[in-house]
Amino acid sequence: MDSTVEALAPGTKWMPYLAILGHDLRALWTSRLVRLWLGATALVTLLLVAANWTKYQDATLIASLLFPYLVFPWFFVVVVLGVSPVSGTRAEVLADGILSRPVSRREYLLAAWSARVVLVLGVYLVVTIPALAVVTLAKRPVPDDTVTLWGLAGALVVVGLVLTFLVSLGFLAGTLLRKPLLAAVVLVFVWYPIGVVLNAFSLEEFSPISLSRAMATQLRRPWHAADAQTPSQTKAEDLEALARLREHFFNVFSPAPSQAAAARPEFFESETFRDFSVLRVVLGYGLPSLISVVLTLVFFQRRDL
Amino acid sequence: MTHEIDRLPEGSAPEPAIRTEHLTKIYGQRLIAVNDMNLCVPRGSVFGLLGPNGAGKTTTLRLLLGLQRPTAGRAEVFGRPCGPNAVAVRARIGYLPTNPKLPEDLRPIEYLDLLGKLTRLPREVRRPRVASLLRAVGLLDATEQRIGTFSTGMCTRLGIAASLVGDPPLLIWDEPTAGLDPAARRFTLDLIRELGKTKTIVIATHILSDIDQVCDHLGVMHEGRMIFSGPMQDIQRRMGREDFTLELEGEPEDFSRLLRETAHLEGIEVRVRDGARETQNTASLQVRIADGRPRATALAEVLRLVDTCRLALRAVHSGQNATENAYLQLLQEDEAHGFHR
Repeated sequence: MDSTVEALAPGTKWMPYLAILGHDLRALWTSRLVRLWLGATALVTLLLVAANWTKYQDATLIASLLFPYLVFPWFFVVVVLGVSPVSGTRAEVLADGILSRPVSRREYLLAAWSARVVLVLGVYLVVTIPALAVVTLAKRPVPDDTVTLWGLAGALVVVGLVLTFLVSLGFLAGTLLRKPLLAAVVLVFVWYPIGVVLNAFSLEEFSPISLSRAMATQLRRPWHAADAQTPSQTKAEDLEALARLREHFFNVFSPAPSQAAAARPEFFESETFRDFSVLRVVLGYGLPSLISVVLTLVFFQRRDL
Repeated sequence: MTHEIDRLPEGSAPEPAIRTEHLTKIYGQRLIAVNDMNLCVPRGSVFGLLGPNGAGKTTTLRLLLGLQRPTAGRAEVFGRPCGPNAVAVRARIGYLPTNPKLPEDLRPIEYLDLLGKLTRLPREVRRPRVASLLRAVGLLDATEQRIGTFSTGMCTRLGIAASLVGDPPLLIWDEPTAGLDPAARRFTLDLIRELGKTKTIVIATHILSDIDQVCDHLGVMHEGRMIFSGPMQDIQRRMGREDFTLELEGEPEDFSRLLRETAHLEGIEVRVRDGARETQNTASLQVRIADGRPRATALAEVLRLVDTCRLALRAVHSGQNATENAYLQLLQEDEAHGFHR
């Protein structure tokens, strides 16, 4: 930061960052995409809870609520939201309106990234937390489950990190490819086969499918047993339910879901997910998110507007 | 606005507002937008950056703002290097882009307040300044409207206000009169004259009459190169175009007689202006006076002959289209010398 900025009144250092953050949040909130997404997530969550109210135990039902964020279809919305700030016609507007002012590119990017992360996590949590509260606190005609607060927090953090990673990946792709549509299409083609890629590097535990399957284990995990060797808490019916949900996502609201056979799991051969570690997932998604943001900064610094 | 031009102690050489050295911008190894440009804009000047479309004016301005990175060379504003993170440089520049793209969902007060925050202005400074700027550009009546409903003229006026939010000592305005109706254009030019009393202003344009009216320094760009830079008088003097134009009325034979008589005057050339013969009885004559010949005496001699030839003098113009002629000649010379470069 140069001397002019340093000499300014105290308390004004973060003013541009906060101004851009507020402006972007407002612009995002008023966009049709976000409004539609919020409505759709609320509707899907409501239908999932209502359709499975008497069928699944807490952990399975909660895992099914988190499934759309990890696999399909919300990841696409999140990616598109991440792609937009530094690509297409918006780049011209921001060059004329913001980056020709005394604002560094780093300040702009971090503010725009923060706005998207805050918005995505906000929509995710504002819909999910009430649903989780209802599912865990309500008296339902299903056998009692052992979902813990720690397990719940861990599961929310894991999904939140995946969403943050997707925003960061969209940011990087938007900066590199410049065209929002192209960046979104490329990311779809990158994200869908990600399980295969991770499998090739023996990192299958980080794939969205694996995460969604391990979610029930995580939800039942007590605080002291976190990241430690715990006995199997995943039940065979959880796996079957999740497999059914995965294969018949759009049929899950029907009163009588089809009885498709659960596919044999390819990851975590023991089917116990005992080695599922929140810490490893945090690092596995947190570090790439950080790297994506840093790379975006580096590329954006070198880019002509 | 009360920002004073940064003044240095008596006798010390003032740092120019803008200085570029061998500034070059090449896009994708294909297009040379700015070619080895050396430019010096004095503090306190109203500098017109003139050139045809595609000459590299806008690219030059964007290089100064750090929106683009130079391929070679350097640019400085008030002695500080320009670049993407040169926040201090941009704090001293008020930029108005051509047909500014503004956030359509905001209202003018919200937009200017946002820019005030980007400029790190505390609230107690920001709020009164936003109000005074809106009044100054005549948008007080439009504060309830969203920017998306604004006309081109209103957008330009808001863009002008936006460039002044930080009260910067240097204004860079890219084609500020583009697309404006005559009244809005007059308003903008008057504002430039007023602001030019306290600030350094750079105006990029291809409208010669704007330059003629408000600028005291001129830079002419052609195909990415700066082919002339200096005071306005220099370009007019250099081209020897400080002519007079006489608008006369009379019989055709009297015009012929005047042309014959003036042919004998030493150091004075009189001819009918190209395409200026309006009717059989009226015409515009261009009077060119050689260097070293007293202009008042020479003009008096010509006017005496006009009277002798029984022609009626309708008007006398001085330096008519001087800048235009000089500009066009500069471009022609540059084209002709292309091979020598």
